[in-house]
Amino acid sequence: MLLVLGIDIGSASSKGIVLGGRGVLGSFECPSGGDFKSAAGRIREVLLSQAGISAEKVSRTVATGYGSKLVSFADDSKSDIACHAKGVSSLLPSVRTVVDVGDLYTKVFRINGDGSVHKFLLSGKCAGGSGRILQVMAKVLRVKVEEIGELSLKSEKRIEFNTGCAVFAESEAISRISQEVKKEDLIAGIHRALAAQINSLVERLGVEQEVAMVGGGARDVGLVHALREIRGHGILVPQEPHMTAALGAALFAMENLSG
Amino acid sequence: MNGKEKSILDTVEKYYQDYGFRARELNAEGRKFIGYTCSFVPLEMITAAGCIPFRVRGNIHEPITTGDTLLETIVCPYYRSCFDMSAKQKYDFLSGLVIPHGCDSMVRSYSVWSYSLPYSYFHFVNIPTVCSESSFEFFSAELNTFRKSLEKFTGKRITDDALAQAIRAYNEYRDKVRALYEFRKSDPPLIAGSEVTRVLTVGSSLPISEANVLLDQVLAEIGRREKTRLKKGPRLFIDGACIDNIELIKLVEESGGHVVADALCNGARDHFPHTDVGGDPVDALSRRYLGKINCPKTYRENKEGTFEGDTAVRFGDIGAYAREFKVDGAILYVYKYCDPFGFEVPARKAYFKSINVPLLHLEDVYSGGTIGQLRTRIQAFLEMMG
Repeated sequence: MLLVLGIDIGSASSKGIVLGGRGVLGSFECPSGGDFKSAAGRIREVLLSQAGISAEKVSRTVATGYGSKLVSFADDSKSDIACHAKGVSSLLPSVRTVVDVGDLYTKVFRINGDGSVHKFLLSGKCAGGSGRILQVMAKVLRVKVEEIGELSLKSEKRIEFNTGCAVFAESEAISRISQEVKKEDLIAGIHRALAAQINSLVERLGVEQEVAMVGGGARDVGLVHALREIRGHGILVPQEPHMTAALGAALFAMENLSG
Repeated sequence: MNGKEKSILDTVEKYYQDYGFRARELNAEGRKFIGYTCSFVPLEMITAAGCIPFRVRGNIHEPITTGDTLLETIVCPYYRSCFDMSAKQKYDFLSGLVIPHGCDSMVRSYSVWSYSLPYSYFHFVNIPTVCSESSFEFFSAELNTFRKSLEKFTGKRITDDALAQAIRAYNEYRDKVRALYEFRKSDPPLIAGSEVTRVLTVGSSLPISEANVLLDQVLAEIGRREKTRLKKGPRLFIDGACIDNIELIKLVEESGGHVVADALCNGARDHFPHTDVGGDPVDALSRRYLGKINCPKTYRENKEGTFEGDTAVRFGDIGAYAREFKVDGAILYVYKYCDPFGFEVPARKAYFKSINVPLLHLEDVYSGGTIGQLRTRIQAFLEMMG
């Protein structure tokens, strides 16, 4: 049986998928933790044990993500844009526009029916418009980042933020806390501000339906809700939106083998 | 070439890494160097005055420190880095500095350069912003003012013969650079983009006579390469201001592509146009620098009457190079706060679209630390081209 690995080393979290002839045999996520090499090694170890195989049985490994160059055991590397596109296309074939909200950047890309990319745009080099602001806010408000989505949906009086800068937003949030604003209203405001920034990126690229949201940011229901609200149409989110680049990398590996 | 023979590219690498090495040697022998910051400075005039023009370079790997204590950060990071290196006395072998009206940053910060740096000669060249007949007349007069100012500084007259001789030497150099670009035409190219940029960067730090000899040696050595050691990959064009380092080009090469042509200040923009010979040398320089250097800082009248016609005229050289060097795609590389290029981004994007050349627009801050962030964009762009 052919077995391949797709490894996605992101700036905040690293993901991996082991794929066999019958589909996904295992998947794993861990924090990148400032050491991309050991994150990659750990992911491989876990994936191999999930699939119950040894390293020699792996026919091909494709790496992607910010730290892909450091995956020494990979046979090839692909951009995470190409991998997300491939992964999303296999799960949601009707999707033509993908919004990937990562820790470092937000990327928006348009894909063809076969999952290939024909246009893309990235947010700027600073943290503005990326998912990093969600982590910053969670820390300021002392809530878990996994909880901010649900909290945001409870808001009844959203705070308006007028900055796209993560650093300014942090200081603005702190000053609002001193005014005894509710946490959920603050978070809903941040989600709205981030969604507005993401939306301007989407508008600049141009949309073709359907639209999907992936990356760690798509796990945040508050952010997905805010973007749906701004855009006024549905946005598809795969079941494990943070895993689509790793899945795409594994699919590339498999495709390469079957030639 | 056998392994024992020394490659001229090793010398290029040495001068590239230790920029100004040869200038320091020659300065110790009593030669006078005049720094310049932009392709609009007529190097022939400095050479005819018996001095050696030296292009002031930034350092993408060095944080801007001293420079930022003297200059506001609204200036583009490339120009700030050039100033920072000067303020840190990296170019203390210079006797003077010539700054043209190449962009707002150059005009507005000229006084800061002249007050902060210890050189004995400073001159500002007023370059017209438009390109009409009266502009050429004005620019010729401005060049004569520059001539007198240099004569005063050196105490020697600049003769028409000396000017004509300098014009010939620079034309010769530009012919050689064009010949170097010819090696980029094969697929894959015979010379890497990073090698070309190294050579041209080094060339701008040498006396023109030495630069001509260096180019002869480089051309001979590349000519001996029977087979390219490069792998086939997408062929890219780079459009932008001055890229005096190889980091971006290396990133393209590491991602499997090649830079084969450009419209850059230290590339084709500066090196392809010739100066006419035979007539009045000052008028010829006026025509060459103002008329032939296709820089966004110059407004060229829209004689076509349409946006498409206008961009076709303004950027026609880009289209011609794109066809000649058979490019698959282009990168428009713009420094943050670079006004001349920043304003032109929409028009340039439209032009690349009109000639069916896929374009990647990158904005960067001239820092070795952040250039890696461009990797994802470049990788995805190259993947799109297959």
